[in-house]
Amino acid sequence: MAIKKKATQKKAVTKKTKAKPSVSKEIIPDEDNPYISPSFWKAMWIISGISIILEFFIHRHKHFKELDASVLGNMSNWFGFYGMLGLIACSGSILIAKGLSVFLKAKEDFHDDTP
Amino acid sequence: MTLLNNLPPAFLLIIGALILVILPATARKVGAITLALFGFYAISQLSEESRFLPEFLGYDLTLLRVDSTSKVFGYIFTLSAFGALAFSWSERCRLQNTAALIYVGSALGVVFAGDMISWYLFWEMMAISSTFLILARNNERARLAAQRYILLHLAGGLVLLTGILLAIHETGSIDFTKENIHQNATAKNFILIGILINAAAVPFSSWLPDAYPESTVFGGIILSAYTTKTAVYTLVRGFPGEEILIPIGCIMAVYGIIYALLENDMRRILAYSIINQVGFMVCGVGIGTKLAIAGVVAHAFCGVIYKSLLWMSAGAVLYRTNKSKCTELGGLYKTMPITMVLGTIGALSISGVPLTSGFISKTLITAAADHQNYIWAWLALEVASAGVVLHAGIKFPFFVFFNVDRGLRPKEAPRPMIFGMSLMAFLSIYLGLNPSSLYSILPNNEILADQKNFYDIYIKHFDHVTTMLQMLIFSGLTFFLFLPMLRPTPTISIDFDWFYRKGAKIFYYCVDKAFNSINRAAEKLVIKTFLPALVQFIITAPVSITKILLRPIWQESLSADKSTLKKQEKDLTAKFSSGTFPVAYSAIFILIFIGLLIFLGSSSN
Repeated sequence: MAIKKKATQKKAVTKKTKAKPSVSKEIIPDEDNPYISPSFWKAMWIISGISIILEFFIHRHKHFKELDASVLGNMSNWFGFYGMLGLIACSGSILIAKGLSVFLKAKEDFHDDTP
Repeated sequence: MTLLNNLPPAFLLIIGALILVILPATARKVGAITLALFGFYAISQLSEESRFLPEFLGYDLTLLRVDSTSKVFGYIFTLSAFGALAFSWSERCRLQNTAALIYVGSALGVVFAGDMISWYLFWEMMAISSTFLILARNNERARLAAQRYILLHLAGGLVLLTGILLAIHETGSIDFTKENIHQNATAKNFILIGILINAAAVPFSSWLPDAYPESTVFGGIILSAYTTKTAVYTLVRGFPGEEILIPIGCIMAVYGIIYALLENDMRRILAYSIINQVGFMVCGVGIGTKLAIAGVVAHAFCGVIYKSLLWMSAGAVLYRTNKSKCTELGGLYKTMPITMVLGTIGALSISGVPLTSGFISKTLITAAADHQNYIWAWLALEVASAGVVLHAGIKFPFFVFFNVDRGLRPKEAPRPMIFGMSLMAFLSIYLGLNPSSLYSILPNNEILADQKNFYDIYIKHFDHVTTMLQMLIFSGLTFFLFLPMLRPTPTISIDFDWFYRKGAKIFYYCVDKAFNSINRAAEKLVIKTFLPALVQFIITAPVSITKILLRPIWQESLSADKSTLKKQEKDLTAKFSSGTFPVAYSAIFILIFIGLLIFLGSSSN
């Protein structure tokens, strides 16, 4: 019985600790976490969709005419390549920057003792 | 108008600046703006026949090399000077006005220089005059940044001078031409490195984000336009088709993005975006075809416009809030809506959004990479184009004008500032809508003959507009999807300046340890050990030598009696220490010395 009681107490404690962050998030919002409205998100997705759909109605000029054998050369002529490029290039840049920030970010007074 | 047709625009601005410095504030400001406009007019009057050939150190200098390339750079330099001076109408600082005009004048001097001596002299004048635009901020950080800036530029200038002297020695000619520079490989390499330092090429890039954001509001706008663009101009003149510039340019373009994403200071974000944009130009010079060179010149022209606009909007925010960190800014659209709109136009232009100036220039360079089948360079430039949207396109306006409301309620920017920004925003959109107005003055413009008007660019090539928009929209979408990861932090980013800032400290420590330990060892050895030993030797040597000399005599005369010998030695030591000798000893020594002197004298004869 005593063991069971301890177990239920533990559960209650973990529940409490789990509940704490969500409560604090509601009370003190992170001031650098701006609110982006759902209508903005909707507009972004619609515009992105339109930019893809538009590609159905255009005739794209072929890149790298002399490089038919090149994989990248061929890829550059794929449907939706530019959208994919934007997405991959930007997310890649952000992830690389985030990774490098471990080594490259320093406190503002980092150079204070240097000439 | 013969004088105006043969007048170097550099002289106009530099002499004008020296006259204006003695005038009262209002007259000085009106005079400076008039000079910039007059400079623009004077450049329009120059032709390929224009000549100005003064003699210097026995060489005929060519201060007017006029062609479409130099004229395009001349136009944009005077135009942006006009915009910056109008923007800073309320700026009363005598030092800044004078330094800025000399800086712009020197940049024009480089652009129209047809020989390497005047190129170098104007190049160094640029470095010195621009330093005062940083010093004018008048605080300790600016003073130290200016110190680092001038040291690096003087070092770069020396590298360039070495190359120039080697080239002149090799060819005997001072003409600033590709042929002269490429005669000697060492000279070429020195000149290229000297130029790349000013172009802020990696790894010589950190001086730019270190120094420019420490300058004044006005200084930042002026600085953003000239040093790197004159470097691009000299690359166009001396190194078109130099293939090493392709990877260098691509690295610059990508490096600028990564660091701009890490940065918190809005003007430092813009400083990194300068490196990113110059990367496109350096890569274009490396490709070196007619289309690429036209694209580089066009991109430099448009780049000056939208960069000035971005620096102006950041300057207006700094002027009103006295803050420049993203972690301290936000929500400014509420009270600075005009600055926000104009800054956003700059952000759209640098992103290369269709109907803006960035679109009509950047695409020429990427098209040149495409036509020459530089597939990796093309991909790097496209990735960099997408990345620009992240930092300068959205990060700068979003974190400054939107993000979260930090309770800042500054007034809208003053009217002169709005005028300066509006001028640049107008030019940016005008060029986007009328690309032919720029294309018609570019070098090699015959290859752009089929890109005459709005229809040719936007309707006929609607496929290109669509794909570009698709990339930009998806880049924007990625920004908002990854927004939590892009939150600014109150930090700085460690750049290549670590090597000479922390490095200088480490160097000082090593030098201190190395030389001072030698010093200490020398002191221990010479002062504490050797000199006392020498003194001791000098004191004891005469008595010891005399003992050695007299010992055989004493042994013979005293029958080797040890105790008597010891006594004799003791007596001798006492006599040496008191300095008292029998007259006979002294006479014997004097005789020996005289004998030695006579012997030496006769043997030398």
